[in-house]
Amino acid sequence: MAHSLKPECTPLKHKYDACFNAWFEGYLQPLSAPALAGGAAAKPLTQEAREAAQRGKREEYERTCGKVWEAYRGCLSGALTEKRLDDLLQQAREENPMLEPESPESARQR
Amino acid sequence: MVQYFSNAFHYDHPWAKVQMGMWQKYPNPQCAHVISVDVLDRTIDPQTGIIRTERLLGCKQAAPAWAVKFLGGTEDAYVREVSFVDPITKTTTIESVNLSLSDYLTVVEKITYVPSIAFPKTRTTFRQTAEIQARPKLWKSVGCQIELMSLDRFKQNAIRGKEGFEGVLRRLFGGDDNTQDAA
Repeated sequence: MAHSLKPECTPLKHKYDACFNAWFEGYLQPLSAPALAGGAAAKPLTQEAREAAQRGKREEYERTCGKVWEAYRGCLSGALTEKRLDDLLQQAREENPMLEPESPESARQR
Repeated sequence: MVQYFSNAFHYDHPWAKVQMGMWQKYPNPQCAHVISVDVLDRTIDPQTGIIRTERLLGCKQAAPAWAVKFLGGTEDAYVREVSFVDPITKTTTIESVNLSLSDYLTVVEKITYVPSIAFPKTRTTFRQTAEIQARPKLWKSVGCQIELMSLDRFKQNAIRGKEGFEGVLRRLFGGDDNTQDAA
């Protein structure tokens, strides 16, 4: 795994990355019945059940990775200013915030 | 004047595994020699489940040494990257732009990973485009030359990036996709 731009943050970054990667693997599993209590046979979930399962996964991320994320973020704060990257980053965010993905249709046509 | 580059191929691994590999090695042609990767922001959309990640990649400067010196840049170059992973539609989109030397030249790269239409369970289609544009601050004549040089560099690094990432995916998940090892 790659280092942090601020060397003293690298151990925290690795810890956070490991936490996220482990959670992410589970997150990509298709949402199916076993993700819910009761474990009925796999069949298309109702909208309600799907939302509940997704909410569960988001909460799991907060619970397992939230603390190390905050610690890593705290460690990194100030590093962007030191490297004089904060203005460049601000400028890039203003030019293109990239808050939403492109629609899959336009992405597929490229 | 803008230089365009586009590229498409597939990885012989399912989409989910390519996504897992994505966080463990960065095959960005703009950032062939990664020094650092930091996650600046990460959110999960409660409606769609899409994970948005903003990262800052530090790399050895990709521009030719004389150009960096001429333009007063620093040795390290930084790239901002924003990715969206949609676990429902199995679509990943990534957009990145250089921060360093961006007053002179911008390289905007867009990537998508989707399950292959023919083999959705075992194969992932990769599409990449890049737009390389010199800013008015750079002389027009020099600008065009630098665009062409950057395009050339981008193409070389795109090939290295693909080979490198295939190596990582093989190490992580096995497979025999008959491609050469990373250069």
